[in-house]
Amino acid sequence: MATAAPAATTELLGTAVRAQSNLWADAWRRLRRNRLALAGSLYLLLVVAVALIAVVWTPYRMSAVGLVAPYEGPSLAHPLGGDTLGRDVLSRLMVGAQISLVVGVGTQLLVLLLGVPIGLAAGYFRGWFDGAVSFLINVFYGIPDLLIALIMVFLLGPSLTNIIIAIVATRWMDMTRLVRGQALSLREREFVEAARAGGAKPAKILFRHILPNALGPIIVQATFGIPAAILFEAFLSFLGVGIQEPTPSWGSMAAQGIVAIRISPHIVLAPAIALSLTLMAFNFMGDGLRDALDPRQKR
Amino acid sequence: MLSRGTLIYIGQRTVLIAFTVLAVSSIVFLGVHRLPGDALFSERMHGNEYAARLHYYHLDEPLIVQYRDFMLGLVRGDLGESLVNKGVKISPLVARELTVSAEVGAFALLFTIGVGMLFGVVAAIRQNSWLDYLLTTTSVIGYSMPNFVIASFLLLLFAVWLGNVTNGAYYFAIGWTGTYGNIGEIWLPAFALGFPYASIVARLTRASMLEVIRQDYIRTARAKGVREALVVIRHALRNSLIPVITILGPLVIGIITGGVVIENIFGIPGLGKEFAQSILNRDYNIVIGVFTMYAAMIGVANLGVDLLYVVIDPRIRY
Repeated sequence: MATAAPAATTELLGTAVRAQSNLWADAWRRLRRNRLALAGSLYLLLVVAVALIAVVWTPYRMSAVGLVAPYEGPSLAHPLGGDTLGRDVLSRLMVGAQISLVVGVGTQLLVLLLGVPIGLAAGYFRGWFDGAVSFLINVFYGIPDLLIALIMVFLLGPSLTNIIIAIVATRWMDMTRLVRGQALSLREREFVEAARAGGAKPAKILFRHILPNALGPIIVQATFGIPAAILFEAFLSFLGVGIQEPTPSWGSMAAQGIVAIRISPHIVLAPAIALSLTLMAFNFMGDGLRDALDPRQKR
Repeated sequence: MLSRGTLIYIGQRTVLIAFTVLAVSSIVFLGVHRLPGDALFSERMHGNEYAARLHYYHLDEPLIVQYRDFMLGLVRGDLGESLVNKGVKISPLVARELTVSAEVGAFALLFTIGVGMLFGVVAAIRQNSWLDYLLTTTSVIGYSMPNFVIASFLLLLFAVWLGNVTNGAYYFAIGWTGTYGNIGEIWLPAFALGFPYASIVARLTRASMLEVIRQDYIRTARAKGVREALVVIRHALRNSLIPVITILGPLVIGIITGGVVIENIFGIPGLGKEFAQSILNRDYNIVIGVFTMYAAMIGVANLGVDLLYVVIDPRIRY
């Protein structure tokens, strides 16, 4: 594919020399050209805005019962209708956006805080620490997510914080394994050796030399981790062991609506569509970021 | 194929599975005793009725004694008795439900692999065509949608909308008539269960097909005049199978855990439905039994997948 170097510069120089490029500028340029990723980001901005608005204002109180006739369909006063208890679905959907974002981003932040240092240390220092970490990763991979999360929720009790902790317990391995692998391969590179020869302390080598070079894959992994966490929360809430009433979660709203699917499908459709679009947007964005941050794809 | 090494490997894994099952059921056993709620208590009881019930289930004994009895029972394959339905033995109950879940799961797995690989191959050999874009986008949608969302869309479409359109002459009947479902009852839940994973399989197949199809031996095969269909199936597809096989383990586990949701939506009397039901009923003995079964099922499924690697890829030996 043709390079996007400004035509004027090319003419001035008389040769097809490209402006000096760096990874992040290139990535941004490639990301902007990916229409699906762009659409995804715009939609996510909308979700974030809705979630922020819901902090201070919702059309009705999200837990107020009997605002609408139960099961009533959409109307002007209640654009998304009422749920099985006559609560306003739109208000609950808005608060649900908050819950989903907090769970998704919160989980991923904790995973980063946990996975990056552990992975870096394990990959760089090797030895018994690496052995222990690798063993733990394998143990956790051996037990299915649902069992880990359910046991955690059983032991800690269902609350927003505990659900985030439970999801982190099922997700930390992905990031740790990725960072460990990156550290493992980067530690053999010349620039790390140069830093070592220059007398840099391990902490400086890890965070100033190895981490910046592993940032691309980490960002991509984190972007894919957010929808995975949101999905898992919805799954837990759908089963009734996640976010508890009256706080709405898209998962528990869908669970409530699915029993009434025959008479008032809007109760299940509203959270289901919101959830799918959000997950899709994150996945498209992750795809876009992965392509954009891949230096082999020069276009 | 079943060399001595493989047999030793199977033995080791079986021991490991047994330990996992014991560990999981112990954690659940101890965890469940911390939960609030009581299936045995009722306000309508008089006198020592409650104490008698507790005594019947040995719940009045110290926890450590209960735990010892539970472990002794577990080793004999006895998971105790239901707290809600007095006299119902749990072991045969969950064993039967396990086979129902396995039936749905097997259909879902067949669907996942079949449709996923077909989509992936078609998208790869028609790369960058509208068909490719359509299938690739569908697969992103597929793995972005939680299975309960897919299930609700399918129910709306086939159980509600189709019934309305044909005036109730033809629609998908939700539910299960016998212990095991017939094909008419099973295809929709299997589809909902398998679709997200089919999308992942399709993506993987497409990526690895694209890699393989540019190899020299494919060009050689074409140059020899081998028919295109044969090139794709015998030369390209076989070699692009490996990445697909590597996700078979997570895929099987995903289908097993996804079944929890799907069985509840479609009213399938399997392990997943029992799971949600028993938590709701506070029937903690069944909760422990279901967890134990799940741990065993997942362990065995993992072992099965690992053994399958040996069959498919002759380079792998244990």
